[in-house]
Amino acid sequence: MSTIVIGLSMGLLLFLLAAGLTLIFGMLRVINFAHGSLYMLGAYCAYQIVQTTGSFWLGLLVAPFLAAAIGALMERVALRPVYARDHVYQLLLTFGFILVIDEAVRLFWGLEYKQIAPPDLFSEPVAILGSQVPTYRLFIIGFGALIAAGLFFMLERSRYGMVIRAASGDPEMVQTLGISVSRIRTFVFAFGSGLAALGGVVAAPLLPIELGMGFSVIIDCFIVVVIGGLGNIRGAVLGALLIGMTRALGYTYAPSWVEFLTFVLLIATLVLRPEGLFSRKGRAA
Amino acid sequence: MSLLQMRNCDVYYGKAKTLHDISLDVEEGEIVSLIGRNGAGKSTLIKAIIGLMGLERGERLFDGRDVTGLAPEALSRLGIAFVPENRRIFAALNVDENLRIATVMGRTGAWDLRRIYRLFPRLEERKDTPGDALSGGEQQMLAVGRGLLTNPRLLLLDEPTEGLAPLIVQDLVAAMAAINAEGVAILLVEQNLKVPLKLAQRQYVIDNGRIQWHGQTGELLENQEKIEALISL
Repeated sequence: MSTIVIGLSMGLLLFLLAAGLTLIFGMLRVINFAHGSLYMLGAYCAYQIVQTTGSFWLGLLVAPFLAAAIGALMERVALRPVYARDHVYQLLLTFGFILVIDEAVRLFWGLEYKQIAPPDLFSEPVAILGSQVPTYRLFIIGFGALIAAGLFFMLERSRYGMVIRAASGDPEMVQTLGISVSRIRTFVFAFGSGLAALGGVVAAPLLPIELGMGFSVIIDCFIVVVIGGLGNIRGAVLGALLIGMTRALGYTYAPSWVEFLTFVLLIATLVLRPEGLFSRKGRAA
Repeated sequence: MSLLQMRNCDVYYGKAKTLHDISLDVEEGEIVSLIGRNGAGKSTLIKAIIGLMGLERGERLFDGRDVTGLAPEALSRLGIAFVPENRRIFAALNVDENLRIATVMGRTGAWDLRRIYRLFPRLEERKDTPGDALSGGEQQMLAVGRGLLTNPRLLLLDEPTEGLAPLIVQDLVAAMAAINAEGVAILLVEQNLKVPLKLAQRQYVIDNGRIQWHGQTGELLENQEKIEALISL
């Protein structure tokens, strides 16, 4: 039972990251290498806010907005001038963001790792079907599912979502309807960055908060996005759960095969269904 | 004063000059057609009018105002609507959403969702159908409806009848006449004279990226042989 809980919570955590990455790719056709750095930034922000105010919840609320503001700035100032150029320039640019953010974090918080505890509310484990399950993991599952549902609602039912889906498919046509696509791009980049930081805050009580944390998670995140189908939110949910469960089951039953299994999934997807296991033609959600 | 004036426009596609010294105007409430064979430069000119292609030289005036430097979204808000070749329906949106997205900017006027559904009842029946699951005729109606919902003063129609069955073309011609009767000026792009002769008061003929002839529909009939030669394959 606890394996399933760990798998689901890992999956939903990955989803928070993958969702932002895939939304940004769908809208901007840019693979944001710095996504992991924004996740790390979210975790450090959470640490700072917990240190200063003692409130995890405040961190959960504030860090995403901070990251969104940074994301908006990155898009406006740096990315926008290079859209017209080859993809390599955009990749290099987002790679540059990693260096800048990592260095800023090092200057501000230093090299030694930080830690925060889960909120008191989740300090006691609960017993489910005879096994002890950390309540914080249950919170991640519930919270992740809530965000996923909210994202679906936003994309499928709201005006914003409608415009984002349309602009992901044909930005020029959206422009000719009087809508400023460059503002949508900034919004989506900021929104995705906020989601990455949200993932960072949620992950912070589980992991050491350190400089390399963005890098290790971004690889899994890319795998999720490729398995789910680039630019596809439904795929991101299912891909994240698949990777989360694979990892959790792997750690329990075949620990030395975990990486192997993950990459076999990735390779199988790329060979058999390169458009992604869960993609539907032309759909953003 | 003309509603739209393109003055001495040069347009480049990459490094190749594709439009040479184009001048064209559309009066308020008028139907004008732009006729030319495949590759003559019709779509490029339409895209230059709506701002999707930049002008290397020349100017664009709308309602007497110089709007040469404006982006497509700004031109749309001023009242130019674009119904592109191949319709470009949003595949990820259903029929209703494909229409509603044109109302997001809130340019209000005579056209609202109810009227579009009255003009094209078929679209209301297919309200919840995904945009990419429509027939060619339905897609064309949807593209026209979407354009109208921005409440334009000028509607650019790029080969609206291409590939459609004669009966559906008839419906569309009737719809265009009805739309024009509401005071919307139309610039109609076609490869042949059939629909332009029925609807338009004035005609432009384009070939090799240059306007080769323009005049009243009556004058076109007098020069029909010469013009057929310009547009035939």
